[in-house]
Amino acid sequence: MELRTASAVIGFAESLETGAAKFYEAAAAGFADLAGCFRDFAKENGKNVQAIKRAYYSVISDALETGFSFQNLTSEPYALQTVFPESAGAAEILKIAIVNETRIQSFYRQAAECSETLMADLPRVFKRIANNREKRMSRLQERLDATGGSR
Amino acid sequence: MPVPRLRNYIGGEWVEAQTDEYDDVINPARGELLAQVPLSTSADIDRAVSSAREAFPEWRNTPPAARARYLFRLKELMEERFDELAEAQTREHGKTIDESRGETRRGIEQVEVATGIPTLMQGYNLEDIAAGIDEHCFFQPIGVFSHIAPFNFPFMVPLWFVPYAIATGNTFVVKPSPRVPLSQTRIIELFEEVDLPPGVLNMVHGANEATNALLHHPDVAGVTFVGSTAVGRDIIYKTCGQTGKRVIAQCGAKNFIVVMEDCDLEKSMAGLMTSFFGNTGQRCLAGANLVLVGGDAFYKRAVDAFIEAAAAIRVGDGMDESVQMGPLQNGASKQRVLGYIEKGIREGAALALDGRKLRLTDPDLPEDCFLNPSVFVDVTPQMTIAREEIFGPVASILRAKDLDQAIGMIHDSPYGNAAALYTSSGQAAQKFRHDVKCGNIGVNIGIPAPMAFFPFSGMKDSFFGALHGQGRDVIRFFTEAKVVVERWF
Repeated sequence: MELRTASAVIGFAESLETGAAKFYEAAAAGFADLAGCFRDFAKENGKNVQAIKRAYYSVISDALETGFSFQNLTSEPYALQTVFPESAGAAEILKIAIVNETRIQSFYRQAAECSETLMADLPRVFKRIANNREKRMSRLQERLDATGGSR
Repeated sequence: MPVPRLRNYIGGEWVEAQTDEYDDVINPARGELLAQVPLSTSADIDRAVSSAREAFPEWRNTPPAARARYLFRLKELMEERFDELAEAQTREHGKTIDESRGETRRGIEQVEVATGIPTLMQGYNLEDIAAGIDEHCFFQPIGVFSHIAPFNFPFMVPLWFVPYAIATGNTFVVKPSPRVPLSQTRIIELFEEVDLPPGVLNMVHGANEATNALLHHPDVAGVTFVGSTAVGRDIIYKTCGQTGKRVIAQCGAKNFIVVMEDCDLEKSMAGLMTSFFGNTGQRCLAGANLVLVGGDAFYKRAVDAFIEAAAAIRVGDGMDESVQMGPLQNGASKQRVLGYIEKGIREGAALALDGRKLRLTDPDLPEDCFLNPSVFVDVTPQMTIAREEIFGPVASILRAKDLDQAIGMIHDSPYGNAAALYTSSGQAAQKFRHDVKCGNIGVNIGIPAPMAFFPFSGMKDSFFGALHGQGRDVIRFFTEAKVVVERWF
């Protein structure tokens, strides 16, 4: 799906964060060792949605290019895996999480780049969330390394 | 479900209009009947003005800070109901949901600024203008003011005036456009929730009879109007001139967007699309004439890029978040725009992109109010489409040999609402800003919409009056200066 308008981008970002949060909540229920980390992430996903919406609703204006700021942005490259097989082990879960996080991060970076000169605060929030994901991905990678799953 | 019949709000109560005449309020994207609006009579206006006049003495004696507190509460309610308010605008007007949210934010911004009335309304003084004599200047409210609202921004435009008028201690009668009365009705409901004293703000729905009654009413001290130039000119120089009312008349436009060869065309395109096709071209700050300044290669590149971007615009129901342009507000507006397109063709302009060929996101939508973007090339300044306000999604591309010629074209227009320049040259931008006789100037901004704390300007046939809406101007408009020279023995 093509994402051209600010509202479409905001809606898609929300679906990514919500999808990722559901994945982490489900995984937390099945893996006690990872539960703390995953629940933190799920909570942070909710905060990200709030931050994006706050930025959008604060700066949106009839004068800004809300309908035309996102050229060549589509949803397909950023599809997440939000369910996992019952037989999946911790390493597999962590690998899925890293792929998901990488996709979400690249979505935010692409959306920020598209709208950088047009939409004021919104690309700034996108960039901040993308940068924060570095920490998250490092944490996931450390846990994956600890399981021996990255070998 | 029965279709609601709207009522007037007078003296703190919802009352039936004294008429049997009602108009339908239609969602232009879906064709569904949303409500019926009464075409109120002069008797309804008289009742509302009487109520406002009776409320005035107590309200003007309410301390400014206390008056502002109603607006603080109103702002909070508007934030809480933000999406609901935006959706109401999209349903009755047709604009996209992003545009409605933008309009809602702009409306709330007016309320926020008006809450600063204890500071904004302050006068000034000087001790010892002569030995032992001091002089003070106070700004005092005047009485009953009114607003006659347009259809293109049903939520925001009344808020250019209402919060400031009541914050300064005046009382008010607002008449929404009968085409889009629901957003204003919702604003009144919110004012009711904050317990604004009865009679301070009144609303009368209607059309010509209600408008004329407001303009002629002896107890109305001033009129604020946003609409066409012909009507605005009549209001200030005829009706209100005869009845001695203050007037702000923000009127028609034909805005030029000048694009220089040195601009970043790729980065500018989103702004150009917003300017020409945002709100389906139905705004007084919309780009109408695109003037390209540069060589042949630039001209071709710019025309091609503009047409390609306009052709790609997704047109449909504004409630669909993927849609970039909604319908015109009603079928008559569409017919008017079609008339201009035909006139452009007859006068020799080339219709490079024909918006009459509909390409809607949902083929099941009724076509009555929809047009896709149209772009004319080979337009000369003398053609009707380059001179008259079309108020629809039609762009005319003209060519100038240099910036001076482009500015000359702007000055030949009777309008002076807005103009914008896209360039990377500071010198060109400075010259444009300094020389162009328009009230609102954009530099690499396609819609130079002033924030609430600046006046919404306008010159020539785009504005009649001395003081503009918004900013310090509107505070002065709603108040009278009183000077006190004081000596004590």
